Amino acid sequence: MSELRIRDRTPPGPLEYLRRWPLRLWLAAVAVFLYAPLITLMVFSFNNSKRNIVWRGFTLDYYVAAFQDSDLIAAFGNSLTIAFISTVVSVALGALTAMLLWRFRFPGKTLFEGALSLPIVVPEICMGVAMLVFFTQIMPWPTSLPWPLNLGAIIISHISFSFSFVAIVIRARLASFNRELEEAARDLGAGEWRIFRDVILPHMTPGLVAGGLLAFTLSLDDFVITFFTSGPDTTTFPVKVYSMVRFSVTPEVNAASTILIVITVALTFIALRLQGNDVARNAAGG
Amino acid sequence: MDESWKRAKGVFAAVGIPPVFWLAAFFLIPMAIIWAYSFGENKNLVEISVNGTFANYAHAITPLYIGIIFKSFWYAVVTTALCLIVGFPVAVAITFASDKTKTWLLLLIMLPFWTNLLIRTYALMAVLRNEGFINQFLSLLWDGVSHLTALAGHPLPPFQPLPLLHNTFAVIFGLVYVQLPFMVLPLYAALDRLDRSLLEASLDLGAGHLTTFARVVTPLAMPGIVSGVVVTLIPSVGAYLTPDLLGGPSSLMIANIIERQFKTADNWPFGSALSFLLMYMTFLAIAVQAIVARNRRAAASEAAS
Amino acid sequence: MKRGRSRRSLLAGLGAAAVGLSFTGLEGCSTKAPIGRNGEEAKLNVYNWDNYTGETTLADFKAATGVAVKMSLFSTNDELFSKLRSGNPGFDVIVPSNEYVTRMRISDMLTPLDLDKIPNRKNILPAFLNPDFDPGRHYSMPYTWLCQGIGYRKSKVDGVPDSWKWVMESDRYKGRIGLFSEADDLIELGAKYLGHSVRDIPYEMVDRIADMYIRQKPNVKIFHTDNGQDLLLSGDIDIVMDYNGDIARVMDEDPDLDFVVPKEGSILNSDCLCIPKGAPRPDNAHQFINFLLDAKNGAEIASTILYPTPNGAALALMPASYRDNPVIFPPADAIAKCEYAAFEGLKRAQFYDETLTRIFAS
Repeated sequence: MSELRIRDRTPPGPLEYLRRWPLRLWLAAVAVFLYAPLITLMVFSFNNSKRNIVWRGFTLDYYVAAFQDSDLIAAFGNSLTIAFISTVVSVALGALTAMLLWRFRFPGKTLFEGALSLPIVVPEICMGVAMLVFFTQIMPWPTSLPWPLNLGAIIISHISFSFSFVAIVIRARLASFNRELEEAARDLGAGEWRIFRDVILPHMTPGLVAGGLLAFTLSLDDFVITFFTSGPDTTTFPVKVYSMVRFSVTPEVNAASTILIVITVALTFIALRLQGNDVARNAAGG
Repeated sequence: MDESWKRAKGVFAAVGIPPVFWLAAFFLIPMAIIWAYSFGENKNLVEISVNGTFANYAHAITPLYIGIIFKSFWYAVVTTALCLIVGFPVAVAITFASDKTKTWLLLLIMLPFWTNLLIRTYALMAVLRNEGFINQFLSLLWDGVSHLTALAGHPLPPFQPLPLLHNTFAVIFGLVYVQLPFMVLPLYAALDRLDRSLLEASLDLGAGHLTTFARVVTPLAMPGIVSGVVVTLIPSVGAYLTPDLLGGPSSLMIANIIERQFKTADNWPFGSALSFLLMYMTFLAIAVQAIVARNRRAAASEAAS
Repeated sequence: MKRGRSRRSLLAGLGAAAVGLSFTGLEGCSTKAPIGRNGEEAKLNVYNWDNYTGETTLADFKAATGVAVKMSLFSTNDELFSKLRSGNPGFDVIVPSNEYVTRMRISDMLTPLDLDKIPNRKNILPAFLNPDFDPGRHYSMPYTWLCQGIGYRKSKVDGVPDSWKWVMESDRYKGRIGLFSEADDLIELGAKYLGHSVRDIPYEMVDRIADMYIRQKPNVKIFHTDNGQDLLLSGDIDIVMDYNGDIARVMDEDPDLDFVVPKEGSILNSDCLCIPKGAPRPDNAHQFINFLLDAKNGAEIASTILYPTPNGAALALMPASYRDNPVIFPPADAIAKCEYAAFEGLKRAQFYDETLTRIFAS
């Protein structure tokens, strides 16, 4: 207790940069730079003005409009569904990839690793046009399929660029796995599936969670690739907001954006809570 | 430590086939089609015939498009430089903060990154336009100064809002806004691994803070800096949404031109050629980074031995 | 392991919540609409320009036929064309302009209309029954026609800017000018200014026009995408290249605005209703087109969007303030100098687009 008070009263040490005013000022300026636009956006979602240029008064009308806009809600539902399915498949594929690369030596391994890094490195616009061409010329995806199958083209595209990211995250986690545990299990007579389920999988789980969150965010956030593969019945939230920004910029756009920001922040906090609890319990030797 | 695939063929097939299939079918094949189209031409309004022509690539390296490619690179370089200048002190601040503050600061920097890119760009439009945040603030300042000078009998002319939207300034502003978290994280990771006693030693020996940073910290953190530069540079070159919403016609970047070929100009072969040029340049940048990293490692291990 | 279970259960909960959310979200707009009398789902996907139907048109259609219309928007013909080029993503009715009807017709992207299902075509004025872009009107029905020209704010502009010079070659209104961003329109209007027809423009004239626009660029505030009238209304620009109907609409809100067809002449367009190939609900589509061509519905649309209508029966129902409006129906001598553009082949279209890229990039 008193230690803290002493700390506050002594002059800052040579490396305690954050306690000196230049860096504090810089950090504050950067924080303003990063957050002011978002906060302005959220504040103006309550603006009682159709053209939303000058503040004219407080209203919740545009939130009501956003919640009643069936196109917007459908687009949001599509985004969530796509993100959910894409996450599940990406995590599965990413886990398999990580296991493959971690455990086996095989001819062409370097080539495969290189190919795996392509979806991460390739500019989004290139992948967007590639998926557009693929789904129109090679594998036309019938849009009259019942929901959610008609979202298939978008889901496949999202999985294609997510699972490389997930593989990296899970692979990093697997790298810290002690193989002796696996060998011990095998010596004790466990079959491959048993070993995977009871020995490897629990160790991998934080990686799966982190990878899953990453895949979910990547999918929910994606605009460019979805822009090229969506249609009138398969709009996602970012694509719908883009159309609203281009055609009818009312505070409803702000309201919809604010709702999404709040959801994202909430999910992030929940995720951090989960990880934080994990870290705390691990540290406490639970 | 890893075993040969022959020892557990069943497992190998089980874990190997799905990812390989997916990567091949839903990534490599689409890319291959685009690559094929780049050697094709429009037969008519809706069909393309692939006939091995290099006309599209020849067309792509005409001055008009080379100019746009260089402009995209230039914007990306300026963005990266600005991110580095703004982000380095932030990374330093986070590194040397107490552990509890550290988590909060990292969260502070990363939270905008978790927000949807479209929303962030739209928010910037509201900030930069003629009646936006910045211009309103400047207008208040101007009016304040004008009141003062009016006391002396010379009021200032009415405030002309600065054109901050739909031009190059807005595009660079937007790119820095979006890419800043990408620069801060690798910088922080590199600085965090530094041995603090080296810094303290340098300060003890009489070097000022700035000198310490220039001569001790920067060389040691160089891999992190290079990593941050690459992670910021590459997405900036291929940016689509930022120049589309924030830029004017003179600030078109290569991704916008590619989109035009597919959506407006109906020239898929040419768009494919441009896409692949962009990809080759990206690979080149990464290869350069890898070579630089390898040379540094070689030099370091040589120095160590 | 207790912590493993609690973490996993929380994750499972989150996952279930996400799925649940998405299902309830889709409740509001399920793709499974009731089946109508004609055996088709009672819905319709229309791809249209922004602000291009009457205020009650869609509601009236739903009341009359039970079919719910979902309107998606585009801002240029190119956007429409490229969306449908590789297969119909689910649209039933589209609204291309005249030369794009040609483009889509020769690319086999339109279904022939079943004229028996469109009895209201008798309302169409004779002048629009046999255009050269769709002889006999087998693939399209006229929706509006329009004239391009200059919209301006009277108090900020000297006199009447009745020449294209004021937007294309003069710095009188520096920084307050808006131009189109569609390649065809810009180049064809440039040709009109230089005294040439909008068809068969020689390539070196196109280059001259491009150089003119490049010189003019420092004076141009924005190359607008179908929102020129909004920028004029809000005061962002004072003089703009735009369509007569859009300007007529904002003139309603602000009497300080006006429109003129420049003396060098201009371009006429006709926006048409078509049914793309592969439309999932062709019968509903025909019903919708027939509905729009009805006299009362046509009048409702015209009074909202203030574009000239090719529907004679609707025109008869319109008040004098519409029929005698010189912005909506420019005087005969102005119209005499205007022409319809035509699709002149892919090579020329690509050349125009590349010219536009050159103008933008310089």
